[in-house]
Amino acid sequence: MRLSAGYMIPFIKNRPDWGFVCGRMSALEGKLLPREFFTLIIEMHHTEDVYQHLQGTLIEDYLDPGIPWDDFSAIADECFYDLATSIRAECPSPVPADLFLIRNDYLNIKSALSGIDSRFLPGMIREQTIGAVLDGDYADLPSPFRDRITGAGIDLGELDESMSDMFVDGAYLRHLLMLADEIDSPLIRSCVQERVLGHAVSSLWRVLRQGRDLKQVVDLFLPVGEENPLILDLAGTPDPAAWPDLVGGEIGDQLARAIQMPYDDQISTFELKVTNFVLHLSAYARLETSGPERVFAFLMALEAEMQNLKLVVTGKINRIHEDILGPRLRYVYG
Amino acid sequence: MTPEWIEIGRGLCYAGAGLTFGLAGAGSACGIAIASHAGAGVMREKPELFGRMLIMIALPGTQGFYGFIAAILIMTQTGLIGGGNLKISLGTGLALFFIGLGNGIAQLVSSIKQGEASAAGIALIARRPESAGRAILFPAFVETYAVVALLATILFIIFLTQPSVLQLLPQ
Repeated sequence: MRLSAGYMIPFIKNRPDWGFVCGRMSALEGKLLPREFFTLIIEMHHTEDVYQHLQGTLIEDYLDPGIPWDDFSAIADECFYDLATSIRAECPSPVPADLFLIRNDYLNIKSALSGIDSRFLPGMIREQTIGAVLDGDYADLPSPFRDRITGAGIDLGELDESMSDMFVDGAYLRHLLMLADEIDSPLIRSCVQERVLGHAVSSLWRVLRQGRDLKQVVDLFLPVGEENPLILDLAGTPDPAAWPDLVGGEIGDQLARAIQMPYDDQISTFELKVTNFVLHLSAYARLETSGPERVFAFLMALEAEMQNLKLVVTGKINRIHEDILGPRLRYVYG
Repeated sequence: MTPEWIEIGRGLCYAGAGLTFGLAGAGSACGIAIASHAGAGVMREKPELFGRMLIMIALPGTQGFYGFIAAILIMTQTGLIGGGNLKISLGTGLALFFIGLGNGIAQLVSSIKQGEASAAGIALIARRPESAGRAILFPAFVETYAVVALLATILFIIFLTQPSVLQLLPQ
């Protein structure tokens, strides 16, 4: 069932074994930044002021006065990665953290398929396994990737970069769904399903803009769980204006709003709206005292905070106008 | 009343005493464990909150003492501690058994729930340390019913073991 406005997702009961990590979440949530923090940075004129402003935040330990600001994105990624791996080590189940850490793995797989060494900090997949992908060995990759290659007899070496990226995106989404099924939480499952749907729609939209035949592309992209029939319907409808009715629910509404935007902003607006919707949905988990949902919601908020920091700091360095930066901020609940 | 029935009555009232402190103690242990997990997690990030965490963690421990008080009262009023060999009828023994059981269940449930309320209060203190005074109120409300259960238990024990009810057995 597609989620729409007024949705109610049942919580799971408190789980005492998650008490320690959720106590830590409570302390860390107190350090999440409010929206005004980012708008203040947007209004600043000197990078020294930005540095001062970032003191006392979660990223503080990663900054020193001599850092080259050009590396700020890598610093923010490292901060998120370190915190997520540290939380993962203290959780009774690694799944809530893995849902965020596998993104780097799939980005590394994409790089390896393009003949480039790993650039992102590894999550669940070891660097040796990614290194083997450079040599065409996929045997140790996760089952959502490996099984599809062997099952459909796909030769990634024969595909161009954008097609192999679509295949990797599909595997990434299957992996997210597989992880979400491992944990008994309707809230996490709903958030992941909505995220997967949003990612699938934006991927198809980008491919459509490249002038490719969607029907050929979806063979590489599928299967993505319950969304298979919808993805096939979208692929058979080459006009994105008709997609909101097919998608339905809140994601369909966001898609309809994004289509009203200027052509160049449509996809990025849709992605931002989907992310904000999922963030909003996951924020309900703050009402839980102890359980995996609290960890998932915190990591969602932390990921959004790091993205916002990257946006405003690199935006200021590159002298992007504040009217452009402000609307691109993600939902924050700090 | 035959000596066998008196023995059964006495046995029942001591079983009630055992249950009341056993259940209350077990509940307190669970409640403290629930609050401790959350408190330890907070101190991982903010060790300076130890003092406030300690109060919240200690709150579910009181039920164990309430169970202990009820058990001691049953034992002193029925002569097991410092008294004579009292004649306890089957009816009195049965009543004391269920009073002990009822108090034990009330203390067990309230201490576990107080542990959960304390963990929620700990989450609030972690985010806003200045809210510690208000955060302690919520688990304190749970405590109210543990105290009410103890008071009812004390009254029942005292009235059921008055000299007019229990008689001293001949030596």
